[in-house]
Amino acid sequence: MLPTDTNSVAFTIDEVTHTIRFARDLDASPERVFDAWTQPDQLANWWDAMGDRLAICEMDLRPGGAFRFVSRHHPDKPFTGTYLEISPPARLVFDANGATGTVLLDEESAGTRMRVEIACSSADHLAQFVAMGVADGTGKTLNNLEKYLEANG
Amino acid sequence: MEINLDRAFGALSDPTRRAILARLAQGEATVGELAAPFRLSQPAVSKHLRVLEHAGLIDQGRDAQRRPRRLRPEAIKIVADWAEPFRILWERRFDNLERHLAAEKTEKS
Repeated sequence: MLPTDTNSVAFTIDEVTHTIRFARDLDASPERVFDAWTQPDQLANWWDAMGDRLAICEMDLRPGGAFRFVSRHHPDKPFTGTYLEISPPARLVFDANGATGTVLLDEESAGTRMRVEIACSSADHLAQFVAMGVADGTGKTLNNLEKYLEANG
Repeated sequence: MEINLDRAFGALSDPTRRAILARLAQGEATVGELAAPFRLSQPAVSKHLRVLEHAGLIDQGRDAQRRPRRLRPEAIKIVADWAEPFRILWERRFDNLERHLAAEKTEKS
């Protein structure tokens, strides 16, 4: 387990189970957070890290149903996958880029404790997945990483 | 020794080397101690150790006779920094979600 932020456990990479974990306390009920994840007009509002509304947000919300999120900045890099489990308002499981994403929503007195887990199949897959996610970001580390990936195919 | 990011990524791209690093994270170890659990020959382990050392991820401990290898604390930071843009991406996404939920609440009330 490698916590990258020593002040909190909001983000951890578990290298043994190849799982990335996030946690966030939200000032809203689990029902509302679940809707924000599962209604296209809502998710389109917040998914893009740059803050722009998604260009395309399609969801076939049922087990086995596909989704496709396309940002304006990276129309060439859609976030696509398949829903595996839809259990409102507590649990949403999907497959994306070969990793399994699980959203867990627990009701708390102040709102919702949201946990997001991204489970990769291997350490190599974990490294690739992080690198892919990085492709949307900015900064020097990104440039270094992109250069590395280009150089190493 | 300076850490070369490209070399570090190259060194980290091998599962055996990652396993060696994970072992060293628990404390320094000699070549022999590292070879045993991986069922590798000492020369094979030495080769991996040279790559890790060249990348600046490990160095040698003070005991000149045993020559134990140890993880450099900076190595941890490299991996952390490497994942940092990914963390930022998702944290931004969740910041947006918080704003979205707050705006929606205002609309409805």
